[in-house]
Amino acid sequence: MTERYVELHAASAFSFLEGASQPEEMIERAVKLEMPAMALLDRNGVYGSARFHTSAKRNGIRAHIGAEIAVSSFGSRVTPPTWLPQQHIDEPARLPLLCESREGYQNLCQLITQFKMREKTKKEGAAIYDDLQQYASGLVCLTGGDEGPLAAALVNGGEEAGRKTVEQLVRVFGPKNVYVELQRHQEREEEWRNQAAIRIAHSLKLPLIATNGVRYATAYDREVLDLFTAVRHHTNLDSAGRLLALNSQRHVRPTQEMNMLFRDIHSAIGNTEELSARLKFELNDLGYQFPPYSVPDSDTMDSFLKKRVEEGIARRYGPKNDRGLLERAKRQVERELALIAKLGFAGYFLIVWDIVQFCKSNDILIQGRGSAANSAVCYALEITAIDPVGMELLFERFLSESRGEWPDIDLDLPSEGQREQAIQYVYQRYGELGAAMTANVITYRGKSAAREVGKALGFDEESLGRLSSLVSNWEWRGKTDTMAHSFHNAGFDIHHPRIAKYLELCMRIQDLPRHLGQHSGGMVICQGQLNHVVPLERASMPGRTVVQWDKEDCADLGIIKVDLLGLGMMAVIKDCLDLIPEHYGEKIDLAQLPEDEEVYRTLQKADTVGMFQVESRAQMASLPRNNPEKFYDLVVQVAIIRPGPIVGKMMHPYMRRRQKREEISYPHPSLEPVLKRTLGVPLFQEQLLRMAMTVANFTGAEAEELRRAVGMRRSWERMKTLEGKLRAGMNANGIDTATQDNIVQNISSFALYGFPESHAASFALIAYASAYFKVKYLAAFTCAILNNQPMGFYSSAVLVKDAQRHGLRIKPIDVQTSSWSCTVEHEHDGSLSLRMGMRYAKRLRRQSAEALVASRLRDGPFCSTEDLALRVPQLDRKELTLLARIGALNKVDGITHRRDALWQAERAGKMEGPLLRQRSEWLQEHSDALPLKQMNVEERLVADYAGTGLTTDRHPMYHRRPELRRQGIRSAEELRHCRDGEFVRIAGCVIARQRPGTAKGFIFISMEDETGIANVIVTPDLYDRDRLVVTRSKFLLVEGPLQNQDGVIHVKATRLMALSGNALEVQSHDFH
Amino acid sequence: MTRSAELYACLYVREFPAQAMLRLRQKIHNQPCVVMEGEPPLQYVCSLNSKARTLGIVVGMTRVEIDAFPSAVLLTRSLKEEAATKAVLLECAGMFSPRIEDVKQDRSFLCVIDIAGTETLLGPPNILAQKLLTQVHALGIRARIAVSSNFHTAICLARDMSLRTAITVVPVDNESVALEPLPLAVLNLSEEHAETFSLWGICTLGTLSELPEKELIARMGQEGKRLRQLAQGVLPHLFVPVETVFALEERMELDSPVEQLDSLLFAMSVMLEQLILRATNHVLALASVTVTFSLEGGALHTRTVRPALPTNDKQIWIRLIHLDLEAHPPQAAILSLMLIAESGKTSKTQLGLFSPQLPESMRLDVTLARIRAIVGDDCVGRAVLQDSNRPDGFRIEPFSVPSGPIVEAILDQTPTAMRQLRPAEATTVILKGQKPDAFFFRQKRYVVEHAYGPWLTGGDWWNSTLWGLEQWDVVARGNDGAALCCCLVRDLMRNSWRMAALYD
Repeated sequence: MTERYVELHAASAFSFLEGASQPEEMIERAVKLEMPAMALLDRNGVYGSARFHTSAKRNGIRAHIGAEIAVSSFGSRVTPPTWLPQQHIDEPARLPLLCESREGYQNLCQLITQFKMREKTKKEGAAIYDDLQQYASGLVCLTGGDEGPLAAALVNGGEEAGRKTVEQLVRVFGPKNVYVELQRHQEREEEWRNQAAIRIAHSLKLPLIATNGVRYATAYDREVLDLFTAVRHHTNLDSAGRLLALNSQRHVRPTQEMNMLFRDIHSAIGNTEELSARLKFELNDLGYQFPPYSVPDSDTMDSFLKKRVEEGIARRYGPKNDRGLLERAKRQVERELALIAKLGFAGYFLIVWDIVQFCKSNDILIQGRGSAANSAVCYALEITAIDPVGMELLFERFLSESRGEWPDIDLDLPSEGQREQAIQYVYQRYGELGAAMTANVITYRGKSAAREVGKALGFDEESLGRLSSLVSNWEWRGKTDTMAHSFHNAGFDIHHPRIAKYLELCMRIQDLPRHLGQHSGGMVICQGQLNHVVPLERASMPGRTVVQWDKEDCADLGIIKVDLLGLGMMAVIKDCLDLIPEHYGEKIDLAQLPEDEEVYRTLQKADTVGMFQVESRAQMASLPRNNPEKFYDLVVQVAIIRPGPIVGKMMHPYMRRRQKREEISYPHPSLEPVLKRTLGVPLFQEQLLRMAMTVANFTGAEAEELRRAVGMRRSWERMKTLEGKLRAGMNANGIDTATQDNIVQNISSFALYGFPESHAASFALIAYASAYFKVKYLAAFTCAILNNQPMGFYSSAVLVKDAQRHGLRIKPIDVQTSSWSCTVEHEHDGSLSLRMGMRYAKRLRRQSAEALVASRLRDGPFCSTEDLALRVPQLDRKELTLLARIGALNKVDGITHRRDALWQAERAGKMEGPLLRQRSEWLQEHSDALPLKQMNVEERLVADYAGTGLTTDRHPMYHRRPELRRQGIRSAEELRHCRDGEFVRIAGCVIARQRPGTAKGFIFISMEDETGIANVIVTPDLYDRDRLVVTRSKFLLVEGPLQNQDGVIHVKATRLMALSGNALEVQSHDFH
Repeated sequence: MTRSAELYACLYVREFPAQAMLRLRQKIHNQPCVVMEGEPPLQYVCSLNSKARTLGIVVGMTRVEIDAFPSAVLLTRSLKEEAATKAVLLECAGMFSPRIEDVKQDRSFLCVIDIAGTETLLGPPNILAQKLLTQVHALGIRARIAVSSNFHTAICLARDMSLRTAITVVPVDNESVALEPLPLAVLNLSEEHAETFSLWGICTLGTLSELPEKELIARMGQEGKRLRQLAQGVLPHLFVPVETVFALEERMELDSPVEQLDSLLFAMSVMLEQLILRATNHVLALASVTVTFSLEGGALHTRTVRPALPTNDKQIWIRLIHLDLEAHPPQAAILSLMLIAESGKTSKTQLGLFSPQLPESMRLDVTLARIRAIVGDDCVGRAVLQDSNRPDGFRIEPFSVPSGPIVEAILDQTPTAMRQLRPAEATTVILKGQKPDAFFFRQKRYVVEHAYGPWLTGGDWWNSTLWGLEQWDVVARGNDGAALCCCLVRDLMRNSWRMAALYD
């Protein structure tokens, strides 16, 4: 009789380099083979279990959870005998454990955490016998395949040692919880171990169980496993030898095949189904609880929260002097607080409030974003800065009764140091085992795949460099944009068998996990012990711990996380808040920035370089059309240039209506209040919710469920039910079928990509602040943004040129005045200027620069290059030369130009020893003559770009203008006065190339000259023809018709040329 | 020696790999030709002729990029041909002076000839240079020659690409003027110095030579002084002439074709004597001897004999060569013979007074040579297992004295004795439901009683050598009732069965 087989020992690619298939592929294969359940046992963790579980649920099969735990007490795992040449490394044997109950799962998590955290740094680690005894309850143990303790004992000490090991396991887990495992991969060595195992099982009266020790879904994937083995052992396939698999039998096998293999062993297959039935635990039964917030005895968490919210409401709405608004706000928070109390989420809000309080008291700028901005409670607690009542935002998008998951609050912090401060505060407060970062699974992507596969196939370093540099990072993937195509273009023969195999392997390992990193800001917090819920381990960064799941896994399993994200623009704003009072004498209140006409005029002109969220080429192209006049227009602006509205074809109708070229209409008259703000075009997720609530009488919770159902591509069934309900509701409201179709279409096309209004509002607030600062306080803003690079869309060189065009005087690095960072200086005429900081001198170490500044402050300016070298011994010769090269020594006595400085710096950098220096007159140079000639303009520009990445001098194109003018080439400024359709020629320095996924292969190039930025569109055909010119040229000459529509100017390129000519060649050679 | 007594001619050949290849291939001279370097599939252009350059081909392009130029002729770099061309060029230079210094370059050829004092014999420098150039052209090589009384000046001028003429002669004491316009690239500067000079705006040798000496030394050390002198054309040079190569070669043309090996042994003995004598003069011994016969019909027959230690014992050499040639006799009559010997250090080992007497190494060599003559070269030595899953994963290595302690495999049970059949013998197998049911082995039919397996192995999937095997351990009985325990192997790539081993 054929018995049903359940695979109870499978490892996925989350056994990092010891498995070759995604958990989803395992499930897919199990479903195909009609397996009712499957168990995932990855190496030392449950990394893949969340995805395994989610995928199994979706496919209606059971996912058993477990892990293979390295236990050093059982000795080393089996390796080939020492007399055979081999390269196996010593690794502890691994014990397969399966979770029978929630207690078992919690024990497994604690067991893993215990031995992982025993290590002081990020390491694999191993458990000891005592750990097993401590956490054995609720776990079922198998004796393992060739990685397991039984095989190790049999090989090292024979059958007797094998029996002792099994007896040891029985003592730890109890006789009912130990299964003697048999695997048959059709290998000779394995079979004699199996025969010994059968005898041991019979003598100890233990059940036998068949597994296949699965490492990949299908036999073909053995190649990937072999490849990973070579990567793991830092060798290549040709020299890996016995490290590689002997055959391809470790795939998920069908019941029939397993029955055939084990037909001589009674019950080995039957026991798989029996054990599977015993394993009751599944991951949705985690028992996760968010920690409570400790409150004074006189208060409950709810009452404490209520008090804080009431205080906040008074603080927030008091100054607005709007009685009606205050009343509405009070009503709203009452409603929200009631729901929070009902769902028991008060602790969560208080914990986030606590983090915000910590930041505020430590002078750290913090602001919430995302759907939290829909909540008046969050606004009152100062978690967010957007007034949801005033803006009529929809609370249900944030929190609803039936959603069955925790609300999501993201907090933006100025990057680096201050974010780390906040993270360490959370660790301190909730303890090492109470909070951890979410993981970030590092997967094989284009470049890393290309590199590692190449190494494994034995390619040399030079070819590897070339191969991996080929992999395109551009977003658009056209039909010719395959890896194969780019390899061919770069001169590799893709028909050569080894190159063909290389390509194939590169593609096959895309997205497979390589190792675990940490997410930049996602933290999970748990009541009491987080290590009951998911194993914790050390991150490579000291003082950080990380859970074994990434943020999507955590969200899927309903674990709450607080995102503490670094946002460069927050740091810029923070710096502005310090710089503006200092240099302009004006105090700034970020919460009360006035609506300023000049700021909106600047936005309307798309003069937005450096401004948050509105500076990209696509944003600039739509700003003149959207013509923002008030804050809400900016909210729309931030939200509309997104893949969602563009793919959902929402952008153009909105823009047409905004320009009054199209009449405003609504799918149904009842939707007018919902869609009025966005001129009848649904743009935000909140609107989708409201639409469902209005036309089909959905509750807020139901509407939110609908949004999520549409958002999840695979939940078609749920979607169908909800659509039925939606249509029923609309029928009840008497809406005709055509309108119904229209509304359903609107909802389903849009929900996939929609942007939450609250999130857009939070971002718009930062965008407005950045625009306000740039327009009103250009020196402070430029200084702040230059000190926080890299960030945003443009390089520092572009930001500097843009500020100069707006009238800011920018002065070069000077050792007599510059600090490490850029600074604002006061000119004699009362105006402000910007001094570049020494951080822009490439390869100048911070400590050298700081020593220089300290010496200057202590002993006054430097009187010669020799004086500088003597007083600042930290500066080495290369640094001195660098400073000389970029003109930073030009203000030192006796130096008239950069080459004088270079001549002297070279001497000062080769100083004689201290003994000779006492009699330095012996070595003094008698001749004061400085033999080097001054640099010409081009040489200076090259030196500037090579040494600082930018120039404070005139734009490189300025020097060529007369010549360009003779050739009839226009400047960016002149394009503004050209007619639509006019044939133009322009030239400039390429500052950005983009190939957005939504643009069907079109390429957008931004080119800068001394008058501004011009935009060029390159068609896919032209790109295919002139690929090298498009991707490699630093300076371009473009010809084509001008498109000037609504003040948005583009040149549609018909011909592209790299700018040559003697002088320009030099420039393009060294810039960027 | 006074300065004016010095005079050097520098002979410079650019694109040497390409020129060396094209020298003997007249037919393709007028076509665009490129020389490729590197292992397939990662080959790249390392040198090319001017026709190829006009097409737009540059050094460093890959094979596929070159495929875009269908007219280009592809050649593979040959270091041997380059060495031969170099020898020819040096020989040609040697006709003008015995003192030649070979300046090593990767992709070009550069030698400097000391032509001081040759004027009366070969004419003034420009005439000499012209003659040299004509000779070199006759060899099929395009070159450039610069003559100067300063060694380095001659090299710098020869390297300068901007000059249109193939010959440059610098009048005495006029070096600095001649060097003045040259770019710094002719100096072969280190990256660091090149960067410094570029920062200083120093682009030509003229501007470099104008820098004040003491100040330059304070900045660049003695290297600065050297470069400045180079630029001024006054850097002295210690000439190191090429030494004649010490080659142990003897060649003999036979008067008539010889078929009997024995009759050659006397001649060979005389040649060996000469080789040994020359080696002894250099305090060396013969490490290996390569015998090359030119045979009737144009074929060559080459054998190399290499004993464990270098020796000058003629009798041993004769015996070893004789044994080797007996095992590998030439297939046609011999027209000429050549002996090329490699030399090595003489082997004299100081043995301890009480250390045991070792067998004489030369006698062992002779014995091994005898065995080799019978069983073949690849079958003598010790078997060394390879780190591979392949069942035949071993190789034969020459015997050597083990250096570390010997690790003995400890087996705790008596293993089954097995006779591996090498090579495995082909058999015919009859299957029943994927399992062997009967087979024919050594003209006998066997019926399978028990079959254990299949044991599956396979690997090397990334290579053209990929393999896959299915093994069965079988207990079978023959027609005569005799039992046979054996291992049957099926090659999954070729679907063929073989008998791999017999169990005792």
